[in-house]
Amino acid sequence: MDTSRRQLLKAALGGSAALSLSGCSLLPRKSGFQPEQYSAAVGRPDGTFGISSVDLQGQPLWVSAVETRCHSGCMHPRGNKLVFFERRPGWSFYVLDAHTGRRLHHIEAAPGEHFVGHGVFSPDGRWLYATASRYEPGEGIVAVYDAEQNYQRTNTFELAGIGPHQITLHPDGETLAIALGGILTHPDYDRLKLNLDTMAPALILMNRRSGKIVGRLTPSHHQQSLRHLDIHPSGKVYVAYQHQGPRHETPALLARMENNRLQEIRFDGDTQIGLGNYIASVIAHPENDLVAAASPVGGTAVVFQGSTGKLLAKASIPDCSGVQALAGGDFLISSGQGKLVRLGANQAAQELSQLPLYWDHHLV
Amino acid sequence: MQPITRAICVSTLAVAASFSYAAASANEPQSARAGWYPSIQSGYDLLAEETEQLAEQASTYCAAPSEDARAQLEHQWRDAFMAWQHVRFVDFGPVENNNLAWQFQFWPDPKNLVARKAGYLTKSDQPITAEVIEQSGVAVQGFPMLEYLLFDEALSSSERALPSTHSCALLTRVTRHLASNSEQLTADWQHFKTPYLNTESYHVATLKAAMATLEILEERRLAKPMGLRGNGKRNPYITDAWRSGTSLLSVEATLLGLQQHFLPGFLTLLEQNGEQDLADRIQHQFKATLDNFPAANRPVTTLMSDDNAFRILQGLYVDVSQLTTLVNDQAAVALGIVRGFNSSDGD
Repeated sequence: MDTSRRQLLKAALGGSAALSLSGCSLLPRKSGFQPEQYSAAVGRPDGTFGISSVDLQGQPLWVSAVETRCHSGCMHPRGNKLVFFERRPGWSFYVLDAHTGRRLHHIEAAPGEHFVGHGVFSPDGRWLYATASRYEPGEGIVAVYDAEQNYQRTNTFELAGIGPHQITLHPDGETLAIALGGILTHPDYDRLKLNLDTMAPALILMNRRSGKIVGRLTPSHHQQSLRHLDIHPSGKVYVAYQHQGPRHETPALLARMENNRLQEIRFDGDTQIGLGNYIASVIAHPENDLVAAASPVGGTAVVFQGSTGKLLAKASIPDCSGVQALAGGDFLISSGQGKLVRLGANQAAQELSQLPLYWDHHLV
Repeated sequence: MQPITRAICVSTLAVAASFSYAAASANEPQSARAGWYPSIQSGYDLLAEETEQLAEQASTYCAAPSEDARAQLEHQWRDAFMAWQHVRFVDFGPVENNNLAWQFQFWPDPKNLVARKAGYLTKSDQPITAEVIEQSGVAVQGFPMLEYLLFDEALSSSERALPSTHSCALLTRVTRHLASNSEQLTADWQHFKTPYLNTESYHVATLKAAMATLEILEERRLAKPMGLRGNGKRNPYITDAWRSGTSLLSVEATLLGLQQHFLPGFLTLLEQNGEQDLADRIQHQFKATLDNFPAANRPVTTLMSDDNAFRILQGLYVDVSQLTTLVNDQAAVALGIVRGFNSSDGD
């Protein structure tokens, strides 16, 4: 990177100078009751990593340096704290002050376990539920931490499966929904997938107090690694797959839970190809019936009607991955090239900003 | 549109038109893939031949050990390993099945799993059968395990050294496993012809495969062990094939494989995109990089042990780095290839 870009980045992320986003002075307001900022793990051109937050004026609020690359996280229900997990195999998570980025806690994984990048709070903010793996036996678990006791580990729920990834809370406030990717990995073997022939992905529904599994739904093909999910306030559950078979196969990558089964959603051939057998994020818009998904592998983001699966919008955005719902009914898409793009059902994609950093997988 | 968003100054752009590599590559003729396909086939065929000979040589040596047979065996290991280096850049297609690429070469190995697993298998009373190899994981199943058996100094001076019964059993089983995998791979590649030629995404997959190979070569096989990254300390033991002293020979073989199997189609593609000058520079830089050999073909431990020898490595690194910049930055931009922060993540 040349010196001027370096200086720009330094200024932008150090908060010492205002950075004008290209062609943009304000970011759209987020939907619902979320705090008025967007946060994500970031990579920086100098090879370092951080967690970064931008406000609705598009100004970087802060960047909190972290030792290794992070993946995703969750906002505390009170909106004052952010939790971010290290990228798989994650050996720790960070608790940050949402307003300043100041590090409040740095919690290491229990011996023999690693995190996988995701977590969610209980509605009252007391409990943090983190998906994790006991890597020697290859057992997926939900690790429970007490946010009021300095994130002490208090409980462990068994998933009876391999490779959990995203976890979220059902609007009933009682049920955790967990995407079980089914892929066995081990930190000694980098990101090698050890069981592609025998993987058993699933959507798991679990009582958050007892840890009892109350539902386990499986995709139509055992190599559909069910990795991400989101739940509409009405309770409609959407899941996203990453297909582990050959690239020239282009099976469904999204599904809606219906009558206790996964109703898979397949688009036209070109769109399926554009999704590259890999969805990194799926978000159901809380204000309407729209769902958005992004594929960095295919460089494609889509918006579709949740109830029918009808494709409504598609944009080519290289390395796009993060998705958030915006007030008014559109979506915000982030990319590994530092872009934030607005995408809705009825208008062309609009590039809102470009920062000299790499937005990592998820927008929080 | 909501009032708040109406106030926003947004730059509407034709995102689809300006960003898409698919749009650019859709117009490319199949000629690049039509050239890459048979070339990679010939590379796989050679790998199958070399590994078959390796398996036969291992059996010959273990049946009647002699210095001569041992020398031939070590020589054949090198030939087979270099045949693998020639096609190592192909990270898509049949080599993805059953983690075949990892089975051929488990690397990096920061925890020395190869030695640990070899120790476990050769000290165990359990007979080393084909099934045991099948179930022992990728650290056991490929070239690094054979390299350990043939070249590890500590093992060579122990009672478990070849041609001890257990080590020979492990050697012959692993060479047979490797030959079988190679035969499967070359057969599967034949059947892969139609999907490869007819599926547009394999065009980008092939380009990205070569780019990833150059990046790994520059960063993980050279810069990091040379101490140019991280803590700044030289560490030859994180290169691949350090035990046999063939780290640099394997770098050369990787470059030769790219030059032979990937470069012709790649240059044609650049020329078709009006990038004749860039194509010439890349071709020239491949040659300049390979001109570092055979001078650089010395054990990496030797090259890192004194500053005079280290300069040879530095010269190679500079050339590889320039080659990587030309291919991964300039050509990637010219061909509209996006190699993403997120797209290569896997989660």
